[in-house]
This record gives sequence, structure tokens and C-alpha cells, in this order.
Amino acid sequence: MLAGAAADAATLVISVHTPDGRPLQGAVVTALPLDGSAHKPAPIKAVMDQVNRAFQPDLLVIPVGSTVTFPNSDTVSHQIYSFSPAKRFQLPLYRGTPYPPVHFDQAGVVTLGCNIHDEMVGYLLVTDAPYFGRTDAAGGWTLEVPRGRYRISIWHPRMRDTDTDLERELTVGEGDHAELTLRLLKSLEPAPLARQHSWDY
Amino acid sequence: MRAAVALLSLVALILASGAHANGWEVDLDGRLVSSNADPSYTQGGISGVRFDQDQSGVRLGRARFALTESLGEVWSVHLDASAWGDHDRIPFGLTEGYLQFRPYPFAGYRLRIKAGAFYPPISLENRASGWESPYTLSSSAIDSWLAIEVRTVGVEAQLDWLGTRQGHDFDLSLTGGAFGWNEGAGTFIAGDGFTLTDRQTPLGGRVGLPGDPVLFNLEPFRELDGRAGVYGGLELRWFDRLVLRALRYDNRADPTVENYASGAMPWETAFDALGARFESGDGWTAIVQALKGETRIVPDGFVLEWPFKAQYALIARQFGRHTLSLRYDRFEVDTNANAAGSGAEDGHAWTAAWVFSPDEHWRFTLEWLRVTSNSYLREDAFNLPALARETQVQLAARYAFGSAVR
Repeated sequence: MLAGAAADAATLVISVHTPDGRPLQGAVVTALPLDGSAHKPAPIKAVMDQVNRAFQPDLLVIPVGSTVTFPNSDTVSHQIYSFSPAKRFQLPLYRGTPYPPVHFDQAGVVTLGCNIHDEMVGYLLVTDAPYFGRTDAAGGWTLEVPRGRYRISIWHPRMRDTDTDLERELTVGEGDHAELTLRLLKSLEPAPLARQHSWDY
Repeated sequence: MRAAVALLSLVALILASGAHANGWEVDLDGRLVSSNADPSYTQGGISGVRFDQDQSGVRLGRARFALTESLGEVWSVHLDASAWGDHDRIPFGLTEGYLQFRPYPFAGYRLRIKAGAFYPPISLENRASGWESPYTLSSSAIDSWLAIEVRTVGVEAQLDWLGTRQGHDFDLSLTGGAFGWNEGAGTFIAGDGFTLTDRQTPLGGRVGLPGDPVLFNLEPFRELDGRAGVYGGLELRWFDRLVLRALRYDNRADPTVENYASGAMPWETAFDALGARFESGDGWTAIVQALKGETRIVPDGFVLEWPFKAQYALIARQFGRHTLSLRYDRFEVDTNANAAGSGAEDGHAWTAAWVFSPDEHWRFTLEWLRVTSNSYLREDAFNLPALARETQVQLAARYAFGSAVR
């Protein structure tokens, strides 16, 4: 870490653990500045593919206002839908990339499914926080951020805690880094089974 | 033959309509069989397994063609046709064929409607394409009976509450069906008892040989009294790990209606089916199913009843591309009819199987099945000892190809 690379910046060090103390990989961490001056994150153009009857990647974090394209690289057709409050939409039966990107203008979690293949599930976390990322195998996430006060939130597709239960305020002050360890209060939902086949009945 | 021509015409029509192919599949399943059993129902007998001692050797397990086609946005058609290499009058017939309406989920709910011929949602082991089991070759006693005699020929509606897509731990489904053409269901239980087989009677097919002393050349899928049967079921799923199913089935046949020309009469059959399946995160699967019901006829005003029940428990462990399974079945048929051919039976069965799927095309299965049953029918109608202990060992090589294979 290049300490002092920017005098007004420091490193945010977040660790996420399960209730039994093990590191949680893949948790989404968002850091929202609470001082008014902060910039809004710039919208992006993202892609969520469908390969072997699975969303790939199965989770995307995107700023509010971003667009996502949902190509289908499988030989079978898919029929994508979401009935999540943050974005309700459906893409009628298709292969390839026949539809324009979908616009996500409201923060929240969007759960995606395929109306033909029930085992397919994907997630979009639409955020208005300018700083975000996912925890590594050690349950950690670090980022250089401007000094100031932040609201730190975490989310995971299998998390049972409500996101407000795990919101914390954190001040990135004079030191070269600010640390926060969050531990889930409730155990995770079971992971989806890795299936060799897709069952018909 | 006419059915095969009609089927091929329908397939040609669908392909010609320019609909977007969703997938087709051809499966060829060959068997090497060793059996000490007496003739089975397909050979005019009564054994508890599919292949008898005269059928030991190389056999056709199943030759199957299946097609799923989208018809526009929310409709699709499903056809599943098979040949079994025995003496059915339909050498290549539909085991299922239906139209499905599948609108998009709305506010967390989803409706699915099927119309045609298909299995009611009972089996928890026969979950693979073609209503096959990924665990064993032979179905349980319960599911073998469904394969032989039970099919919904009608309409089924299913309403799902998609809880897990909304942050809840479970999903719920309510199912209701209305059907006709299943007034032969029950004949096999009374006339043969339970058996463990993977052979599925095609629509329009016949069970047993002409001249069969007990099954009278049964046609399970027929309508005599013009009264629709119904079923209602409930399914609860905890994530993708646990499934609980309950279903009440009643064909509401009027057993007093008899076709005097053919001698065919409706069998009034009702049952409750319960089941649970659990899958662990590390390769274990456990399934239990139970069935309890009754079938009756009223020839010339005499009420003849056959209460029946069956249960099984299956445990399976998957190791990579290998799956080892063990299943224990129990079954019992009682009756108030004491004349010859009246069919009280009780028995049990052990099934052990090793399935190896090296890739998506090949599947090899070695299965050992032992059925022990005590059937008065065996004594009365076939002059055989009532108690039989039958063992059937099968080695199956199954090759699947087509755009739906994965």
C-alpha cells in the first residue's frame, strides 16, 4: 500500500464473517459517503451472459442508471424475468442478443429467473454508493477512499439478515487505514446444489 | 401403427410450422438381463419384475424419442414416445404428450396449465427426462403401478408461490387436475398385484397378452361412464433441498356402468400419495413415498374391493459421476373377493444399483433387484406356489443424443 499517495485518502479495510466466525467470500460491500460533497457513481454498461443454463456471472453490482445486456449463448432458448420491486421486466423467449440493454434506475436487489429453467437464478445489486466490491476468499475487501464518514452495507444472495441489520457508519480519519469487521447474525441459506443434469419432473 | 403414424405426422407438422426447436432427444437403452422370475405381465404372467427367466440375455430396455417445442411465447408442446420391445399392441407409443401454457410469473406467483396426457405429480424418484429414475433402472412398486396404469388424460393447473425468489426459505405449489380415460386404473392391482418395472404403458396400449387369465387384456386408458376424475395436491419445497408432496386422487368412476358388449367395467379407484425427498449438499439423497387407496368394481351388484398400500425408502450417494442407490419397497393388496383370481398379495423388495454417467451421452447401470411376494393369485390362476422370491440382475447401456441432451 502506498501510504500517503494521496494526503486526503486512506484505505478502507472491511472483513465479513459468518456467525460461526468463518470468512465469507463473495459478499457485496458498498460504501456510501455521508458527507454531502461525494460524487454519484457513473452508470456503466454491463453484460450478464447465459451459458450452460446458468447466468454468467450470477451476480453483478451496478450503479443506479446502468444498463445490462443479457445475451443467451446457449443453444436452448431462455425467457428472463424479474418481479423484484427494484425492477420488474421480462425478455420474451430468445437466443443470441435480440434485445436492447435493460436500464436499472432504482437501487435495490433484482432477482432474475428463467421461466423455462427454474434452476437458473441470477442477481443484480443496483447501488447508489460510489464505492463497492466483493469480499475475497479471506472475507476481505479493501479500497482507497477519500477521508470522511461512510455508511458501510453488506449483502449476499444467501444472507438472511436484513441489510439494515448489518449497516455500520465508519469514519475514515487521520490514520492510513480504517478497519471494520462485520459478522452476520444469522446463518446463510444453503448453497444451491451443483447438478449434473436438469431434472424434468 | 396408426398411433405411430399420427405421432410422426404431428412431429412433421411441428417441425414444418417453423417453431423454434427447443430440443429433441433419442435414447437407446440396451440390457443384459439375468432373471429367475416367472413370466411377467407383458408375457401373460404375474411376476414381480419386468423380465422373466425366458427373457434372460440381451433385451431392449427402451427406445425413446422426445420432443419439446415452443409454440409462440408462452405455449409449448411435449411429446415422449417409446418402444419397449415386448408385445404391446402399440409397438411405439406415446407415454406422455401434452400442451403446456406457461405465462410469466406475476407478483411472485406463477400459473402452469397442462392439457393432454401426462403423469400426475407423485413420483419423487422418476425425475429425469422420460420419467426415468437417476437412481435405479426399476421403479419402486408405487411408481411402477403409475407407469402401468395411471396417467392424467385431461387438464392440470398448478399455481406456484415463488417464495425463494423473494427472500423466503420455501416455495409452495397447489395442483389440481381433472381427467378422463383412466377407468382401467386398479385392474392391475387387483389382477396382478404390485410389480417393479420401468416399462410404461403407452397411451392406447394394453397391459398383458390376449388371453391373459387375470388381466383380461387390460386397457387402462379408457372412458366408460363419462364422469371426470379429479386430483388435488400440495407441494412444499425448502430451497432446492427438501420437497414434500401430498396428493389425493379419485377417478370417480361409476362402477355400476358396465359395457356388456366388451365386458369392460369402470374401476373406481382412489388413493392418497405422500412423499418426501431430501438432498444434502454433499451428494446424499433420501426419498420416501407412501401410497394408500382402494379400487372396487360392482359386477351384478356385488361389491368387490381391493384396498392397497405401498411404501418405499431410497437412499443414494453420488460420488462424482457415480451414484450408488439402495431402495426397500413394501406393498400389500387386500380383498373381500375370495374367488379364484381375486388377488390378495403382500411382499417386499430390495433394489441396489450402481449408475455411472461418464458424459452426457452415456449412462451405464448395474442393478440387482429381489422381489419376495406372497400372492394367492399365483396359486389360484397360475398353479404356482403362492410365495415367490424372484431375482433380476440387469446391466444397462444407454446412449442419448439430440439437442436436448446435456
